[in-house]
Amino acid sequence: MPAERKPGYDMPYYEWSPLPTRPVLKWPNNERVALAVILSMDHYQWKPTNDFANGGLPESHPPYAYKSPETPGGVSGGGRPFPDVIGFSIREYGPRVGIFRVLKILDKYGITPTIAIDAMTAENYPYVVRVLKERGCEFMAHGIAVNQMITSKMTQEQERDYIRRSLEAVTKATGTRPRGWMGAEFGESEHTAAILADEGVGYICDWPNDDQPYPMKTPTGDLYSLPVNLTLVDLRSHWYGRIHIDTYAKMIMDSFDVIYREGAQTGRMMVLNFQPWLMGTGFRSKYLDMALGHICKHSGVWKASAGEIVDYHRSQAKG
Amino acid sequence: MLEPNLSAYAPIVDRPIIKWPNNARVALWVAPNVEYMDFIPGPNDGKGGFFRNVHSRTPSPDVAAFGLQDYGNRVCFWRMLEVFDQNKIRCTVSLNEAILEHFPETKEAMLKRDYDFMSHGIYNNRFLNLLSIDEERAFFKDCVETLKRHTGKQLKGMLTPAVSPSPNTHDLMAEAGLIYNADWGHDDQPFPMKVKTGRLITMPYNLDLNDGTFNRFGCSPEYWAQCIKDQFDVMYEEGAENARQVCVSLHPSIMGHPSRIKYLDEVLAYMMSHDGVWQTTADDIAQYYMDNYYDMMVAHLETHDYSA
Repeated sequence: MPAERKPGYDMPYYEWSPLPTRPVLKWPNNERVALAVILSMDHYQWKPTNDFANGGLPESHPPYAYKSPETPGGVSGGGRPFPDVIGFSIREYGPRVGIFRVLKILDKYGITPTIAIDAMTAENYPYVVRVLKERGCEFMAHGIAVNQMITSKMTQEQERDYIRRSLEAVTKATGTRPRGWMGAEFGESEHTAAILADEGVGYICDWPNDDQPYPMKTPTGDLYSLPVNLTLVDLRSHWYGRIHIDTYAKMIMDSFDVIYREGAQTGRMMVLNFQPWLMGTGFRSKYLDMALGHICKHSGVWKASAGEIVDYHRSQAKG
Repeated sequence: MLEPNLSAYAPIVDRPIIKWPNNARVALWVAPNVEYMDFIPGPNDGKGGFFRNVHSRTPSPDVAAFGLQDYGNRVCFWRMLEVFDQNKIRCTVSLNEAILEHFPETKEAMLKRDYDFMSHGIYNNRFLNLLSIDEERAFFKDCVETLKRHTGKQLKGMLTPAVSPSPNTHDLMAEAGLIYNADWGHDDQPFPMKVKTGRLITMPYNLDLNDGTFNRFGCSPEYWAQCIKDQFDVMYEEGAENARQVCVSLHPSIMGHPSRIKYLDEVLAYMMSHDGVWQTTADDIAQYYMDNYYDMMVAHLETHDYSA
């Protein structure tokens, strides 16, 4: 439905709220910046799961889930016949090698990451789940596989099945029902937020539009948005966007400096999202170390999990 | 079990420790891709596999694309050899084997230096993905025999042409007597692959830090040099505990270009200035792994079930 020309949005999920008009936000202990690091543990499905346009869906594939054209592989993605060993193996590096290098760096700075884990990874990498659980990581649901993205081509019933499978896989693997959601490739349809709220999800990270969390309006539940800083997502800027790794690290540090300065007036946050298959490679890990080192040398940074930030904000908003 | 399940999962932090000869931290293999592509590729009519259109700007031939590659073979390859010689590098040539037939001087220069040859197929634009299993079996026979005939060497490994494996490739490699498969960039160490007959390991070739990848995305040679030195530093540090490998993957027309050659020199000199670097070939790394670690790793996998 095209937009009507009147104040506010032409979608129902949250209110228009320019940041300077909001009440002052105080983080715990008057910290200036809340920092959450979300690591994506996703699986690149071997068979080209693409796509309703090209047909050829394997039986296991939920109807109409979609591979983003940016994601490599498959007939339409890489322009090559099956199989896409390049695309597959570079991502397989994540659970084999990359995650452990990233964790070592996070340890250095006392950061416990929040883990966005898709169903196929949760079901098939119990060792990785165990390692992360032992560190006390919070797990978020993250779809089924990176090349199965939610889009509006799915019926609501198909979408609900997809979401349930994602939530159940993480619940089964970790023993805890996830409260958070980050879609595969940040994909949502116009119905996703409502379905997620209905399925009991407490917060979502797919709407990259703020330096503070905010409540969402859904017909069925109490849902929060915890915006990831999308421009600072390694996959978006460095990998798809081909911004050099040293520049990318500088973008994180420069962003922090601004948010830290602004955080003296009202609380701000940095929700960073990294892919261990990418930032966990040898040379990139140096730059991850540099960027996090810059942030963590400052006092006034609240290192929190995604859920902790949402809970705190919700308690303040209610209080 | 997730498809394709060609290598077992084993986290790098929970594997038997690998030590290279003389306790080297890093095995360094330098892999120039010496390539040739059809001037006018065959039609993609379902016969003879899939011909990549490397001349995508115009119907073949695109003499600019052909010529740039050819500049690599006529000029830049020889410039690169000087830099390899100065830095005492023994290369693992990722070789389109048709080079042996088209360009005898190139063959002689490589043989004279005792380089090893990782097959990169026959022509780089002839993909394996769509070959029937019999066609692909014949392809491997051709690769083994052509290398033997021209160099006297037994083929030990392959990076498939433009990384284009079919679902049968790993099995056919092992069947043809190869011991390593360089298509899988999934690790910082070689690792056993599951094959129907024989034994095969992965030999992670670096596509991520490949000069071609950097060139395609408009990166400067300084930037490439910085990144690959950073990569070396991290592998070198970690290699003190558990051995790592570093692959420098190159194309003569790119890092052998006059605008870039000094950065190649800088990178190789930097790496070779470190103690504890085993500068060797993928053939030798694979053989060493097979002789010393393959059984150990397979035994480890039998007693460690990472899927539970």
